[in-house]
Amino acid sequence: MAEVKNEVLTRVYILTFGIVLPMALILMYKTIVIGVVEGEKWRDYGRRSYVQTRPVKAERGNIMAHDGSLLATSVPFFNLYFDPTVATDDEYFDNLDTLAYCFAHYLDKNFTVGGAREYLIDLRDTLENRSRHVLLKRKVSFAEKKKIEQFPLFNLGRYRGGLIATKLSERKRPFGVLARRTIGYVRDQAKDVGLEDSFNKELGGTPGEQVMMLVDKKRDLWIPMDNLAKIEPKQGKDLVTTIDVNIQDITERALYDAMQYHNAEWGTAVVMEVKTGRIKAIANLGRVEGKREWYEVYNYAVGRAIEPGSTFKLASMMAMLEDGYITLEDKVDIEHGKTTYYDQEMVDAGSHSAHLDTITVRKAFEISSNVGLSKLVTAFYGKKEGDKDRNKERKFIERLKQFGLHLPTNIEIKGEAAPVIKEVEDVKAGWSGLTLPWMATGYEVKLTPLQLLAFYNAVANDGVLMKPTLVERTESFGIAIDEYRPTVVKKEIASRKTIEQAHQLLLGVVERGTARALKTKRYKFAGKTGTTQIGYKRFKNRTRVRGYQASFVGYFPAEKPVYSCIVVIYKPEKNGIYGGDVAGPVFRKIADKCYDSLIELHAPMNKGPKPILKSSQLPRNVVGEKKDIAALLGELDMPYYDLANTEMVRTLAASDSLILEQRTLPDNQVPSVVNMGLRDALYVLENRGLKVKTQGVGKVVKQSIKPGTKARGQNILLTLN
Amino acid sequence: MSTVTARIFAELRGDRVIWAILVLLAIFSILAVYSSTGSLAYKKQGGNTEVFLIKHGVIMLGGLMLVYITHLLPHDRFRKWASIMLAIAAPLLIYTLFFGVNINEAKRWIMLPGIGVTLQTSAFAKIALIVYVAAAISGKQDYIKDFKSAFLPIIVPVLIICGLIAPADLSSAALLFLTCILMMFIGRVAIKYIFILMFWGVIVFAGLLLLGKEYPNVVRVTTWEKRFEEFMNDADGGYQVKQAKIAIANGGVIGLGPGNSRQRNYLPSPYSDFIYAIICEEYGVIGGILVIALYLLLFFRVVRLVTKSEKAFGAMVAMGLSISLIIQAFANIAVSIHLVPVTGVTLPFISMGGTSLLFTAFAFGIILSVSKYIESQVN
Repeated sequence: MAEVKNEVLTRVYILTFGIVLPMALILMYKTIVIGVVEGEKWRDYGRRSYVQTRPVKAERGNIMAHDGSLLATSVPFFNLYFDPTVATDDEYFDNLDTLAYCFAHYLDKNFTVGGAREYLIDLRDTLENRSRHVLLKRKVSFAEKKKIEQFPLFNLGRYRGGLIATKLSERKRPFGVLARRTIGYVRDQAKDVGLEDSFNKELGGTPGEQVMMLVDKKRDLWIPMDNLAKIEPKQGKDLVTTIDVNIQDITERALYDAMQYHNAEWGTAVVMEVKTGRIKAIANLGRVEGKREWYEVYNYAVGRAIEPGSTFKLASMMAMLEDGYITLEDKVDIEHGKTTYYDQEMVDAGSHSAHLDTITVRKAFEISSNVGLSKLVTAFYGKKEGDKDRNKERKFIERLKQFGLHLPTNIEIKGEAAPVIKEVEDVKAGWSGLTLPWMATGYEVKLTPLQLLAFYNAVANDGVLMKPTLVERTESFGIAIDEYRPTVVKKEIASRKTIEQAHQLLLGVVERGTARALKTKRYKFAGKTGTTQIGYKRFKNRTRVRGYQASFVGYFPAEKPVYSCIVVIYKPEKNGIYGGDVAGPVFRKIADKCYDSLIELHAPMNKGPKPILKSSQLPRNVVGEKKDIAALLGELDMPYYDLANTEMVRTLAASDSLILEQRTLPDNQVPSVVNMGLRDALYVLENRGLKVKTQGVGKVVKQSIKPGTKARGQNILLTLN
Repeated sequence: MSTVTARIFAELRGDRVIWAILVLLAIFSILAVYSSTGSLAYKKQGGNTEVFLIKHGVIMLGGLMLVYITHLLPHDRFRKWASIMLAIAAPLLIYTLFFGVNINEAKRWIMLPGIGVTLQTSAFAKIALIVYVAAAISGKQDYIKDFKSAFLPIIVPVLIICGLIAPADLSSAALLFLTCILMMFIGRVAIKYIFILMFWGVIVFAGLLLLGKEYPNVVRVTTWEKRFEEFMNDADGGYQVKQAKIAIANGGVIGLGPGNSRQRNYLPSPYSDFIYAIICEEYGVIGGILVIALYLLLFFRVVRLVTKSEKAFGAMVAMGLSISLIIQAFANIAVSIHLVPVTGVTLPFISMGGTSLLFTAFAFGIILSVSKYIESQVN
């Protein structure tokens, strides 16, 4: 027996020390290897692949118009995924039929209900390559997501139902393409432009941090782990711009119509508030290559420096006026609009000059005579034979600088083109003997439309040069953070007298000159046309031209300017080329609409002493509810005598006053509703059980059932006029 | 009350070390399960992890009570029950094969009518078989080397039971078969028969694999095959194993502390198959080694019992049960540290799961019953 036991024990020891103990040691060893020796490798692997603290994008601030309308806002959307392995069998198959129905009807209409059911079963049953995040739908709105979350199974939540939603956001512009280029955009793999770019830091906010879990490596799909701490992202600030949505809309529409009508290459129109330099509207349209469509493809107003042409003549005139070289009534011979400088011909645009020779300086400006202006400028600033230096030319340039024409506007958006005002004798820049006469007429200088507008705005603003701005302030949850106050660049660009004369000149252009066709009786405006040759090559007796640029810049109302505006249309191909014909009408359209909306400029209708009305002017025979009529007369401040104690009254005009007379309507017969408004007539008749039909508009002039008839439930036709 | 408690402790017998191991395992179990059921709680209880804590706690308490009750019984009684238990187990397994409840893609459970509790029949069959084999070996010691009278009566039930478990749970069947072979080895069955058996075991295993390939519905080999391929081909392990390794590495030497596991969110069933990784993550390599040491210590205590035991059956059944426990424990741990392919066996007395835990408790009860008897003999 002991032998048996010994044999058993021997075998037990073999098992214990030969197998069990070594096994245990191996397990311990391997645990140490993984946990300690290879520890860093696996920890790193874990960190890298599945859980990471990832930045959470902050919600981007809104860009708003002056009145708070949203110009650009971030709208969240969701991508929905489905993990078919999450649900239990019971829950999956209990909900399958209804889910399939919802799936086919709301989620993906390419599926039939049966097809969706098959698909859902397939998703669940396929062992191989079973995906734990099947894409259900992309770009789902918040409302849509809410609805889909109500579907059976999905309503059990992510951990029981398997619906996974990842939040993304998209920049939306509620006003569509309105001021698109100025509002701008930030995109991956493209140049950022506009305010979105310039204020990226303010709008962008501060990203937060959150521990997230990788659920799909291929799609880089991360899901936040709710139970872990995170740093909340700080929402970006809102940007309140100076843009007035209505003016912007008018401006864009007027410009677009003109682009179409003239089939121009590009065009821009900017409206600025005179006192503040705030840009109320900025439109930029460029033609799509080979098509007759225009889009906001480039911010021409800011980025494109062009030879302004005749609109620059104001600067030339102001220089001479500032120097006291001329008065507006001085004479100049414009040689029928044609002269030459060295080997180059200079002609006046348009036909105004053809029959004229010696005219006043004022007239020369009003008809925009190149010959006149260039002759004047060369006479006073040109280098004469015997002059030892070029100080006179320098003086002219100094004057231009005094007007701030050499200064960039430093508008908030990037990409502004610098103005080009050549320095005297700067041969590299192209200064020549011809520069001065051409400069007098707006060639050999370059300005962006916005820079030129800033100059005209200063004239309108009694000589105060304002910095053009697009942004009023930044806000956070409606509370202002940073205010951008109007900035004065130069307090006085010229003497009061010069400014006053410039005023007169610009007004004259509209009253009598190249823009007289645009004149309106409703209000006065001042401005200057420009018809600029582009791609020109000048010869002795002719000039080869590749096209024209029509422009108009001015301000309104002329007496007390509120807005200044520039319109530039580049290379119009049809229906005219002149500034007054092409750009001017756009200016007028904009000015008209703006003027209408300037309530403070319109004289009130009840201005002056109260008129004494004759009985024939008093409203007679008006029938209606007493309450309404009394309120109306009260509002118009018209005295009346109240002789009525009924609900309905009729007005009677006595010799000098108004009487409210009672109007009794019998309860059980059709009353007369003639002279009532439809509202009162409907009330009266329907209370008596009649069905009212109407034709026409206005007051009741005829009724199809005679007054006094006993009728209920019948149709009655009222004729209104 | 105090008298009842006093009475219970008065009756508490058996190896105190084994009792201590039990309590330590139970503590590990409660902590690790509570920590790792987070994602399960989200799935099933809307994030209420206490539900699983309470449920598991109740089962654990029931388990300990079962250990206590079982250890009170004289272990000889199990010898008499062995054949009856086996006779119940076999039909239950057959029933499970055909009418079992499908949980986690395997038919291993039966639904107890009325109370809605699922029961893993193989866990019961396992203990029944081990007790039977222990009884048979100890009863036939005089002619144990004989083929017809000793080997056959032992091996036939083994083959039947393992064969019935195999279709749904190949790993458990293989581990049980291995346990029985080791028991036979200790019980002095002729080595040549054991080799023949192992040879046949391999043949049958291969046969089952082939059968499974032809008829995937009859034997569940596809997952097994996949796991095996994954194990052979991927030096760093598949997704699950990588997650387990990250967990162990996260823990380092001393661990992240109770409840601080991160990998529980990525590990599939962190509360059962990969609970060892969670323990390592929270209690470090030290915690892991302690768990292995506890199982090892349990085995040593049973070996100590065997040396003292006068009766063959007691020694044999305690040995068999502890072999089964330690094989299962090591198999589970080996999966987490990437020594064997993913098998899906639980860590005895630690993993969450009612049936497994209760039958493990039953096994402990029997072992303690044996130790109680031996103690009384020595005294």
